[in-house]
Amino acid sequence: MFTLQTWIVQALFIFLTTESIGELIVPCAHIHPESSVVQLGSNFTAVCVLKEKCMNDYHVTANEIFWKTGRVTVPYEQYAVINRTASSVTFPNITLINALLTCNIRMFGQINRSVYGIRIISGLPPEKPKNLSCIVNEGKKMMCQWDPGRETHLETNYTLKSEWATEKFDDCKAKRDTPTSCTVDYPPVYFVNIEVWVEAENALGKVASDHINFDPIDKVKLNPPHILSVNSSKELSSILKLTWTDSRFKSFITLKYDIQYRTKDASTWNQVPPEDTSSTRSSFTVQDLKPFTEYVFRIRCMKEDGKGYWSDWSEEASGITYEDRPSKAPSFWYKIEPSHAHGTRSVQLKWKTLPPFEANGKILDYEVTLTKWKSHSQNYTVKDTKLTVNLTNDRYVATLTARNLVGKSDASVLTIPAWDFQATHPVTSLKAFPKDNVLWVEWTAPDESVNRYILEWCVLSDKSPCIPEWQQEDGTVHRTYLRAPSKGPTVRTKKVGKNEAVLEWDHLPIDAQNGFIRNYTIFYRTVIGNEIAVNVDSSHTEYTLSSLTSDTLYMVRMAAYTDEGGKDGPEFTFTTPKFAQGEIEAIVVPVCLAFLLTTLLGVLFCFNKRDLIKKHIWPNVPDPSKSHIAQWSPHTPPRHFNSKDQMYPDGNFTDVSVVEIEANDKKPFPDDLKSLDLFKKEKVNTEGHSSGIGGSSCMSSSRPSISSSDENESAQNTSSTVQYSTVVHSGYRHQVPSVQVFSRSESTQPLLDSEERPEDLQLVDNVDGSDGILPRQRYFKQNCSQHETSPDISHFERSQQVSSVNEEDFVRLKQQQISDHISQPYGSGKMKMFQEVPAVDAFGPGIEGQVERFETVGMEAAVDEGMPKSYLPQTVRRGGYMPQ
Amino acid sequence: MLPVAGEPAAGDSWGMLACLCTVLWQLPAVPALNRTGDPGPGPSIQKTYDLTRYLEHQLRSLAGTYLNYLGPPFNEPDFNPPRLGVETLPKATVNLEVWRSLNDKLRLTQNYEAYSHLLCYLRGLNRQAATAELRRSLAHFCTSLQGLLGSIAGVMAALGYPLPQPLPGTEPTWAPGPAHSDFLQKMDDFWLLKELQTWLWRSAKDFNRLKKKMQPPATAVTLHLEARGF
Repeated sequence: MFTLQTWIVQALFIFLTTESIGELIVPCAHIHPESSVVQLGSNFTAVCVLKEKCMNDYHVTANEIFWKTGRVTVPYEQYAVINRTASSVTFPNITLINALLTCNIRMFGQINRSVYGIRIISGLPPEKPKNLSCIVNEGKKMMCQWDPGRETHLETNYTLKSEWATEKFDDCKAKRDTPTSCTVDYPPVYFVNIEVWVEAENALGKVASDHINFDPIDKVKLNPPHILSVNSSKELSSILKLTWTDSRFKSFITLKYDIQYRTKDASTWNQVPPEDTSSTRSSFTVQDLKPFTEYVFRIRCMKEDGKGYWSDWSEEASGITYEDRPSKAPSFWYKIEPSHAHGTRSVQLKWKTLPPFEANGKILDYEVTLTKWKSHSQNYTVKDTKLTVNLTNDRYVATLTARNLVGKSDASVLTIPAWDFQATHPVTSLKAFPKDNVLWVEWTAPDESVNRYILEWCVLSDKSPCIPEWQQEDGTVHRTYLRAPSKGPTVRTKKVGKNEAVLEWDHLPIDAQNGFIRNYTIFYRTVIGNEIAVNVDSSHTEYTLSSLTSDTLYMVRMAAYTDEGGKDGPEFTFTTPKFAQGEIEAIVVPVCLAFLLTTLLGVLFCFNKRDLIKKHIWPNVPDPSKSHIAQWSPHTPPRHFNSKDQMYPDGNFTDVSVVEIEANDKKPFPDDLKSLDLFKKEKVNTEGHSSGIGGSSCMSSSRPSISSSDENESAQNTSSTVQYSTVVHSGYRHQVPSVQVFSRSESTQPLLDSEERPEDLQLVDNVDGSDGILPRQRYFKQNCSQHETSPDISHFERSQQVSSVNEEDFVRLKQQQISDHISQPYGSGKMKMFQEVPAVDAFGPGIEGQVERFETVGMEAAVDEGMPKSYLPQTVRRGGYMPQ
Repeated sequence: MLPVAGEPAAGDSWGMLACLCTVLWQLPAVPALNRTGDPGPGPSIQKTYDLTRYLEHQLRSLAGTYLNYLGPPFNEPDFNPPRLGVETLPKATVNLEVWRSLNDKLRLTQNYEAYSHLLCYLRGLNRQAATAELRRSLAHFCTSLQGLLGSIAGVMAALGYPLPQPLPGTEPTWAPGPAHSDFLQKMDDFWLLKELQTWLWRSAKDFNRLKKKMQPPATAVTLHLEARGF
């Protein structure tokens, strides 16, 4: 009850505390100051002054004032009542705040009411921006950035100002999201000093940075040069010439460059001395490079006096130094194998491939010279690293040089002593011991001077035979370690494509390396092909073999080489797939599309050229009127009939009719009676043509079965008994009526049936008499089976109709119906056609055209079936054809 | 204290040393030797020289664009019409002897006046330019030319010459002459650009000459030799 009362009072209060004068609402009090942005750490005092009227209305004084920040009441200790109307609140050392400070009064001792409020926000004035610096990226506008100093907690605007001595430029206002930088609107003008500073301003103050004065050309960051080429020199294998294009600034300022290079596999860059590239130029020749080594270069530029910024590095470009002759002779040794022939020995000379840094190019071959003591010498050129020769037992001197494109290495000389030579000063105290994970060998040198030592060893193993390894040492050493890798890396495929395979391998374990791996060699071959070797740098663990043949088995093995030699790893085989990924799809899809397109085009073409095709595919039906039978016939048909028959090769129309039979067999007849009448009239007009059509259309066969009767009924009877079609030819007006029944050649049985069942006649009558515009289907349907659906029309009526319309007319009617139903739009054309037909050849295009028109309506199928079955010869055979 | 400090002779030498040190210390403060103080007009002349070359470079591409905009025959390379009806344009070509005999003040004044006029005409050209892109390029060039004017003014101020005051009646104004045919108007534009180009060439020479004049006498021989190159 009490609360309700309170609510009512409060509601009342809302009306009372605000005095409404029109729309203007006058608050009951005011707070000073209205400004609400307070500097952090300062003291803030607000005073709320009540209005006299309110004081009187609500009986309050400044004593009743209390303050709230948000919903929290400010402690009373911070209040000070100044006089009867004003009370103040003081916030000492204000902290970060953004709140609503309200002045409230307590009325009647219990109702609290806010009478005024201000928002107080605390923050800091902007600090003087420091470290103002500008940059002009070539082709862009000047961008300056600065350090804005401490966070102000307030919305602070930064404006970049710039001016010449004579002109001011537009201010550049920093965007909210990037308050520490701004890009000016105007393009830079070089060689004119510009003064730039930045001003920061917020609600608590405004401060400008120091002014900086500079020439924009001294703040330029140029676009990096573009390396055009890295060329080697045939004359000097230690140099590469770098050419590049510069920024367009080079036409009015001097540039300096910074060029760095490294070998392809190295990670650290070498520096070209800056003093060599301290002026504008567009090429530089880097010297002291290793021969036949790929180097990668990059270059950047800046203003020569060092003012401004280095450009970004150019894109890297690489080049290979030219080859040099091998710098060292290969290690050379021999092995004497027992020979069967007396007086000779088989000597296998063997040597080690030079590591790339000594080969200085691609070793093309080795030249071996064997000189018999005091005799002529023999030369051999070998691509392999061994050579087996048959020597006599004499002493020989063998020399070996490695050759690359540029030249030959120094010669390694090896003396092959005579077979009976005995070393007089053998090496003694040979011992081997492991140390630092390698096997050391130590010996005592003989007293005599030694040219060089050869160490031979093999791995003792139960699994593998002793395959001797060797290494060469200088004559001055007496200890060394065995350096060939003890095994080769195991290679495997990472990805196999149609024409490429990505091989990968693991680094050899330290223990197996026996020295620094200088390079790997990948050997790969097909089952029948030659082995191809590829050298790969030791830092790689992956290599892509390209130009492979698809669907081929490849065998790959890999050897790791230290300076002293190499060792093969196990062989690995893989088969390249026949098709690349997606290749099958890429072939199949277009082929399918092409096929589809071709088919469509073919269909379109056929459709367009159907006249022509028709002419070629459909055999022309011989002109019955010109047949012998026709000549026999005493009743030479009148012009129209003649043409009719020719026009409509029986098969076609027969089939037309047959197809249509199924279409709408349930149509009631009576509806069509009127249209029949109409039709009859039309028939009379178009008698000749329509009868022709009817004759052929209704007949599945051109074979006439002549019913001897002149009567309609009998004719109808006959025709109805023929399952497929019947044509009744009867005399027209002055002509002698005759009935011709055409039946399908092989359907003799239905014919017999129908003859046995005269009741079918009715149906035919029905059709004859009342069908009218009714589709011919009905007619045929009735012929076929659906007697019961025939409408209830008296025989008399039918016969009357029949008699009023002679058989020929009937046939014409049929024809007319067909043509009307099938091809209404062609009606007029057809008529015309018929009239023209006699004038032209009976099998002329006009007729075919007409027939086709029917076909286009959808009867081709039937035509196909019907035609061969119902053909003239049969008719002739029967001998009863009367081409009327 | 060193053991020899007590001897009077040694004391004198220490004093002299201290004196020498002081003198050496004060040397940089001597205005004649102080290279870090007021650099004199040298750097600003150099800068102005650089600016003329830069502007000449800039004008080359601008003129190409603008002449294409004017269309044939103005954009044909060998188009060289007689200088007709452009008497108001300041002429850059001058007799070599006359040019050589110009004093610094006159040389600078001529430059300043020429560019004031050319700038004014160029702004008129900008107003009538049809495409925004062209207007932008012209506006930028005008700004640059404004910079050159300021630069020349700076050099003149550094050398203590007063800026030429434009006569009230001869304030150059650009007005599209209604009597002009379109072709003649284009001809004026063509000549403006051509004259501007010539002036930039001339200014480059002017400031190169000034620059060398201001350099220390040690390079006077070089200066002389190069001056003969003109």
